[in-house]
Amino acid sequence: MRKAIRLSRRAALKGLGGLTVGLPLLECMLDGREAWAQAAPPRRYVVFFDGQSLGADGDTRPTEIIPTTVGPNYDLKTALTPLGALKSEVSIVSGLKIPWAAENGGTVPAGGRPDAHHVNSLSPLLSGVRANAARTRSEGATSDQLVADAIASALQVSSGRRSVQYRVQADWYLSVSAAYGRDIISYRMNGTNPVALPPTISPQQAFSSLFGTFTPPGVDPAAAAKFDFELRARKSVLDLVKNDTAKLIPKLGTVDRMRLQRHFDELRELELRVAAIPPPQTSTCVKPSNPGTDPAIGNPQPYDMNAMENQYNINSGYSGEEQRARVFCDLIHMALACDLTRVASLQVTMFQSHMNMAQLPKLNAADPVLATDCHELGHGGIPGGTHVLSLGIAWHVKHYAYLIQKLKDTPEGNGTMLDNVVMPMLWEGGHGFDPEGNKQNSSHSTENMAVMVAGRAGGLKPGKHIVAAGKHPAMVLVSAMKAAGWSGSALGEVSGEVPELFT
Amino acid sequence: MRKAALFLCLVGCEGVVSAPGDRPMSLDPEVEVSASGIRRLSRVEMDATIKDLVGDTANGAQQLITPDPTNPSDNDFQQQLASAALIEALERIATEVADRLIADPARFAALVGCTATGPGDADCLKSFVTTFGRRALRRPLTDEEIANFVALKSFAIEANDFKVGVRLVTMAMLQEPELVYRVEVGTAVAGRPGVQQLDGYQLAARLSYFLWGTTPPDWLLDAARDGQLSTPNGIRTAAQRLLDDRQAQARVARFHALWLSYHRLPHAPDLVSAMQAESAALVDKVVFQEQGDYFDLFRSEASYVNQTLATHYGISGFQGGAGFQWTPYGTSPRKGILSHGSVLSAGAKFSDTSPTQRGIFIRNRLFCQEVPPPPPGVNVDEKPTSAASSCKVDRYSAHAANGGCRTCHQNLDPVGFGIENFNKAGQWRDHDDGEPNCAIGGDGKLTGLPGGEKPFKGVVGLTDLMLGSGQMEQCTVKQVFRFSFGRNEKPADLPFIAKLTDAFTGHGRSFQGLLLDVVTDSTYSFRKDE
Repeated sequence: MRKAIRLSRRAALKGLGGLTVGLPLLECMLDGREAWAQAAPPRRYVVFFDGQSLGADGDTRPTEIIPTTVGPNYDLKTALTPLGALKSEVSIVSGLKIPWAAENGGTVPAGGRPDAHHVNSLSPLLSGVRANAARTRSEGATSDQLVADAIASALQVSSGRRSVQYRVQADWYLSVSAAYGRDIISYRMNGTNPVALPPTISPQQAFSSLFGTFTPPGVDPAAAAKFDFELRARKSVLDLVKNDTAKLIPKLGTVDRMRLQRHFDELRELELRVAAIPPPQTSTCVKPSNPGTDPAIGNPQPYDMNAMENQYNINSGYSGEEQRARVFCDLIHMALACDLTRVASLQVTMFQSHMNMAQLPKLNAADPVLATDCHELGHGGIPGGTHVLSLGIAWHVKHYAYLIQKLKDTPEGNGTMLDNVVMPMLWEGGHGFDPEGNKQNSSHSTENMAVMVAGRAGGLKPGKHIVAAGKHPAMVLVSAMKAAGWSGSALGEVSGEVPELFT
Repeated sequence: MRKAALFLCLVGCEGVVSAPGDRPMSLDPEVEVSASGIRRLSRVEMDATIKDLVGDTANGAQQLITPDPTNPSDNDFQQQLASAALIEALERIATEVADRLIADPARFAALVGCTATGPGDADCLKSFVTTFGRRALRRPLTDEEIANFVALKSFAIEANDFKVGVRLVTMAMLQEPELVYRVEVGTAVAGRPGVQQLDGYQLAARLSYFLWGTTPPDWLLDAARDGQLSTPNGIRTAAQRLLDDRQAQARVARFHALWLSYHRLPHAPDLVSAMQAESAALVDKVVFQEQGDYFDLFRSEASYVNQTLATHYGISGFQGGAGFQWTPYGTSPRKGILSHGSVLSAGAKFSDTSPTQRGIFIRNRLFCQEVPPPPPGVNVDEKPTSAASSCKVDRYSAHAANGGCRTCHQNLDPVGFGIENFNKAGQWRDHDDGEPNCAIGGDGKLTGLPGGEKPFKGVVGLTDLMLGSGQMEQCTVKQVFRFSFGRNEKPADLPFIAKLTDAFTGHGRSFQGLLLDVVTDSTYSFRKDE
């Protein structure tokens, strides 16, 4: 079934120099199979998402998120503390706003949202296309997918690795409802239809998918041969399953054909991923160590959402997200370093997240236990208003900073990987007027939103706090996408940029 | 097969008129056939299938596949979408299951069924592929298919290890689309454009996944092979045999847990398992032990309680030891499953019960009414407040007093008001949590009943109104229909649901009878595309 690998004479000669007997074939010897390339450093784009707003309900005290200082060397308030010295690598754009229906005569404006809050900011925030109140999804392609279309390599495109999508929060955690779209932040367009790209939630599966075909570094020839055998066997199994799927499709009715065709397409892409030859492992592209078994998926959250610390201190509403976040950041870093993909989205928490915050490590020992869920932090679930909300945000920022540091610590070209990366971090909401409840200082607001952008790709000059009063968050994304090599001028219905990011 | 049986009958049974139940399934030309599509096994079905096929109990699907949306069931195939995450999860599950299989000599020997004479023993591998393949794909494999799987033996030869071949066959089989999905491709029915008749094997899978939630057992596949599923009586016999098995009890328990939203509960683990066991035991008693009127589930004057629940419910003097005791409610104002902590846990919000959410739950799940989402401009994350009173019923009433809100809330909140004496974990309370001055009256109101609006008090009153409304029969049938077909009903399905409802009501509301009526209906052996 499997085609024999033919070596060209020249390749064989090339490969003979210094070839150790028993090692797998060298990349240069292979004819007609594609390898993940590692030429000049490509640009990359990574979207981070935190399903929180930037101020608690009714809290009129000053923000603990947005810096007071405008311009360079901004001050770090509670939520951004984990950035530390890395603030020179990150710009924060504040004062952003997604418009809503009530201020447009009751009709959802372009790039806007209905007055109801949750999920309705999803579409305009991620795709720049106005939300449809009847649907909980993005109505347009999200920024990561548009960038992927622009910068993915041919092999990445053919093998379904135009991008990777991961989510840290492993479950919706409510027993009587479901996430209904709050759990997905990447969408592509199929004609005029948005198609969701659900994220992988298992770090182990992500590891295996990215690095399962990598020979572990430093193995002896016998182990290398065994590894190669396993890979060939795996390909044969996939080939068999794929062929049987192809035979089944024409026997089905129209709708079923479409369903199974999608299954087939995904199988084919997996097969291409497995068939592709991993890049040579270098000082920067190294098979990471196996992250081990995933933390168990936790139970639904405890029923008392108010000040029941003891209830939150059991493993409910929590699946080891601290560890999951760390592993996903490690995997994204190495996937980019090895050029397995150039685009990633990491949804740390869901929109309206019900993850139990009490299980997370504290930022400072003296901080209170966040004995509530992520969503209730903004609604007075525990006392402390914006302060405790900011501690929850800080947990997300910690992982953002961790990935930035890893990229900065990885040499590439004449600098570091961070020079070739654009990494926006988005929040679900801001703090201000809530048109739904007709209230000021609400967490159900898309006023005073912010977007952070890390990295120096495409001429970005990070390290500034930029106040872009009234601009749309998607304008920050337009600038970020351009920095990553995308050549458009509008994200969905939103055009315009934040030029200060480049000056 | 069917033709052969018919032929035998014509020749051998001359002069004997067979009863209608023994005649081949035929389709009434007037009757609408229910549409079906390929259905991916839910996570729970996938794990059960793997357990039954290979004896692996790691529940890999529930760890690796993104949760199936529950609304309320977890098997709505129209919501399913293949993705890279799904495909990779399937490959990983298959690989891990196969690895554990070959590492377990006893399980391996039992499953393979022959002793290989060498790494490349094609006969032994072929026998495994043939037997295991029929169970995994729920139909016999063609010679070509068998050959494709047996070809994997080249790896066994290379590795000099027969187990390698079994491992790869297992990995492939568990990823096969006909295992991952329930695929129904029947044969066209003359004179009925678009309608197909299922073959015996497809029908066996329908029966097994409906009544057991897992792959068909060997005897059912044999029955399919022998044409025994081609008559109503044949199907009835097979379905009854399925229902007589413990797996059917588990399946019916799961149906209720999904329907009434207690498959997951937000309490401490020991309380969760006690609550779920209490409800499952009552379902079991009504449906399987007594096999009488299904509504006894709602009318029961006693319940299975253990020490954890006795403490939780405040039953004094409970003498049950560690186990569950059938405990009469006595003067306690409880009745039937609606008074279980499991069901009363539904609809909590703002750290408390939400009369609105409970109202939606009752209307949606027990009356099968669709409650529209709140209109724009309604902040559902704000507790209702009232300047005049801090008591909950007052706050909710004030909040919903104005015109726009009233329209919907008058049908919802008063339902919840009536069961306010039960807190969000089903414990009795006399006043609002933390508000000793807010005594709870437990006065509820149910609108939209035949004869209009009616008052009620407590779970007992609600249950009586509900059972007397004449609407519970149809809603029970609808929920069973949705669970069975993996989708919500469409207008074309309503005559079938009405027919089932008539039979359910007419036959003393036997729940097993309802399940049998679904599968022995002439339309159940047929399908059409969506």
